[in-house]
Amino acid sequence: MDFKELPVVKDQLMKCVRCGKCRSVCPVFAEIGNETVAPRGHVFMVQMLKDGKVNPDQQVYDHLSNCLMCETCTVNCPSGIDIHELNAAARSYVYNKNPNLAKEMIFDTMWTNPTLLKHAIRIMWGAQKTGAQSLGRHLGLTKLLPGDMPKAEKILSDIPFRSAKSQLPSTNAAQGDKKYTVGYFLGCATDLLYPEVALAAVDVLTRNGCEVIIPRGMKCCGLPHLANGKMDTAQRLAADNVKIFNAHDFDYIVTDCASCSSALSAKNMQLLLGGTEHEIEARKFSGKVMDLNYFLINVLDIKPPVNKNAPSIKVTYHDPCHLANAQGIKSEPREVLRRIPGVELVEMKDANRCCGGSGTFSLTHYDLSMQILDRKINNASDTGAALIATCCPSCTMQLKHGVDKHGLPMEVVHPVQLLSASYNNRS
Amino acid sequence: MDKSAIQEELLKMFGPDRLLHDELDLMYYSYDSSFLTKLETTSPYAVVFPRSTEDVQKIMQFAYQNDINVIPRGAGTGETGGCVAVQGGIVLDLSTWDDIVEIDEKNMQVIVRPGVIHAKLNEELAKYNLFFPPDPGSSLMCTIGGMVANNASGLRAVKYGCTEQYILGLEVVLPNGDIMITGGMKSRAIKNVSGLNLTKLMVGSEGILGVITRIRLRCFPKPQARGIAMAVFDKLDDAPATVLDVYQAGILPSGIEILDSSAIKAVNDFKPHIKLPEAEAILLFEVDGNPPSVEFEGNVIREMASKRARSVEWATEARRMAELWEGRSVTAAAAARVRPDGTRIFAGEDISVPLSRVADTLRAIRALGVKYGIQVVNYGHIGDGNVHTAPVINPENPEEVEKVLKLVDEIHRLAIEMEGTTTGEHGVGAVRRQYAHLEHGTAHDYMLKTKQAFDPKGIMNPGKLI
Repeated sequence: MDFKELPVVKDQLMKCVRCGKCRSVCPVFAEIGNETVAPRGHVFMVQMLKDGKVNPDQQVYDHLSNCLMCETCTVNCPSGIDIHELNAAARSYVYNKNPNLAKEMIFDTMWTNPTLLKHAIRIMWGAQKTGAQSLGRHLGLTKLLPGDMPKAEKILSDIPFRSAKSQLPSTNAAQGDKKYTVGYFLGCATDLLYPEVALAAVDVLTRNGCEVIIPRGMKCCGLPHLANGKMDTAQRLAADNVKIFNAHDFDYIVTDCASCSSALSAKNMQLLLGGTEHEIEARKFSGKVMDLNYFLINVLDIKPPVNKNAPSIKVTYHDPCHLANAQGIKSEPREVLRRIPGVELVEMKDANRCCGGSGTFSLTHYDLSMQILDRKINNASDTGAALIATCCPSCTMQLKHGVDKHGLPMEVVHPVQLLSASYNNRS
Repeated sequence: MDKSAIQEELLKMFGPDRLLHDELDLMYYSYDSSFLTKLETTSPYAVVFPRSTEDVQKIMQFAYQNDINVIPRGAGTGETGGCVAVQGGIVLDLSTWDDIVEIDEKNMQVIVRPGVIHAKLNEELAKYNLFFPPDPGSSLMCTIGGMVANNASGLRAVKYGCTEQYILGLEVVLPNGDIMITGGMKSRAIKNVSGLNLTKLMVGSEGILGVITRIRLRCFPKPQARGIAMAVFDKLDDAPATVLDVYQAGILPSGIEILDSSAIKAVNDFKPHIKLPEAEAILLFEVDGNPPSVEFEGNVIREMASKRARSVEWATEARRMAELWEGRSVTAAAAARVRPDGTRIFAGEDISVPLSRVADTLRAIRALGVKYGIQVVNYGHIGDGNVHTAPVINPENPEEVEKVLKLVDEIHRLAIEMEGTTTGEHGVGAVRRQYAHLEHGTAHDYMLKTKQAFDPKGIMNPGKLI
């Protein structure tokens, strides 16, 4: 669809009154402090693009990219504008006028193909385990990487050898009486970087009467593509996933990844597939999608085993933007934690403020991302908690990096890992 | 001196980190919240981010020597184009110069730099059981410097008045680079009638006389208790009549706000949890003070409002009060929601009329809306006659734009006819300057002479206020 005809551009753009409320909540604006990064500034630039007052060139793209897509502005916009969607649409429009080979390779070739993506991660694992990564850093070879990657490659630490998909069967039978058939949307990052989260999720779900199916051939949720101006690829991936999951008769489609559940939500599906031949099937699909925590509390109403001898541990919770802002899910992850014997939940200041990870943002805007992260780590550290719990692999990666950078004795986990450990009587 | 030479000189003075000069970057400084800057965009020559009085002095000396316009800017939340370089020039973005220099608790005052955010200041003052009473709807984003330059007020002006009542002294860098301290060079006095009151002259001068770089503000003790009464009316006229009843019963609430049926719809759409009842009008009365007085005043308001209102809700629970007050404070931007294919615009949005003429004015505005076929959302500070009018249009439709500009002109002229003013608190900027002589007559001539005395070269924020 023509950029100007997209509903978000056609109907919402004009509604911005430039009141500036978005300035007061934007994590990027808080660090940089000038109008070029204010969310209303991005909206203004989209208007300029629409009106043909600026050329859709790389410079405009770079300006629009100074945004985490954390949706804090959207949630707080009195005029009801989906600012992040406007930004994504504009990035896509500008990118299509200025495609670049590296991005095409990463987002169109590799990130659309689970096998290729797995191989790429394997190569990174090999580089870490053989010392090539350290050697490369030592010899200064990592400095040859493009953009902010020379600094940002440090965020990728401890890549596991085995993916979750290689450790989990496609069908995981329910323990006891079966209550539901659940399609597990296993996101790329959970699968390849944090397989232990997937194992814990399947463990908890099957223990609670769910048959868990992991459809083979599922694709990336498309959020990285959307954030990087590849809306057309995101549309293709969404259509593929709809087809793959709708081939099954799932009661629910559950994912542990905040970014995936937001990408697969009805709202995002409408942005991607509204007005296409896939619209009806997409609606059927997204109607079943649910965040894992939400599912555990509101559908399964989990009751972990009582264990009076469970060791006491302080846990603080970081709200992923794609869960808290994009889906309004704040209480369920906390409730999961509260129900785990021994867990003492302590709130950090500004728990719902972005950690600066935001998918690929930390890789493309490393220094800025670190400034945002520092605030988050200081707030988490002030709680005295031993663990930071969160529900997004991008946040996990970022927070782990922050904890390492600050030399703190904290670990970062998904609530479902603690839950699974509790069921298995592990500390 | 041409634009690129100006940029080059500024680059030498401030370096690349405190200067924007790229064409694309500068475009972001072509707007504020005004409808004017949606229709016309004018970029400045450069944007500088000063961090000290000396920085500002350097810029002013450079600008004065080279006849370059200078436009001070806070958070750019104004609705008049006041911070936009409509005639070109250097924009000073003062919003990042946000130090709270000193909280002088013993003398009930605070010294700040211009970029301090209003909400942030009150958050800090609360630690000392103090507060800065003016409460603009843009509290979360507007700067104290911007409030002083525009003499802002807001939701609590009924009892606490406007910013000017709290400004004890200012440091101002004048167009030629001189530094002027008003309110006494060393003074920390709260009462001060010595000399001509240049502080009051500077407050509300919208950056046409100099750049405000330091502000000495008076604070008040933070009230111990608050309460909010919400009265719901089936007839619009009953709302202003009830306001008069409350005053005549001897009660001075801290704020009295009105939302008409369109404003109620907009708020409910934006914040459904607030659950404002559907009605022709809603009045929100806020009272503050010590707990017994709040209870007493709340009872009187309930009694008075019940004479005409369909229902009255009295809230003292913090969460509900926050919801109701938030409902009012978000109305300005949320008004856009009443029409799916339109938006509210900030134009003709700030007239202020005598209390006795509020009902007539609201009726006249509605009639003008019908005349031009434009939906108008009305809300505002009815307690002091300050009516905010939000026309809702499709700004991409040239016919609607033409009509709304006529509507706005009639609203401004209506205000003057009603023995009121074109602006109660948002200021004049570039958008209401055309009414200056009509409104002020000979006084306008003396305003121009005053401007000439301070700024003989006319470089300070030209095209604004007078």
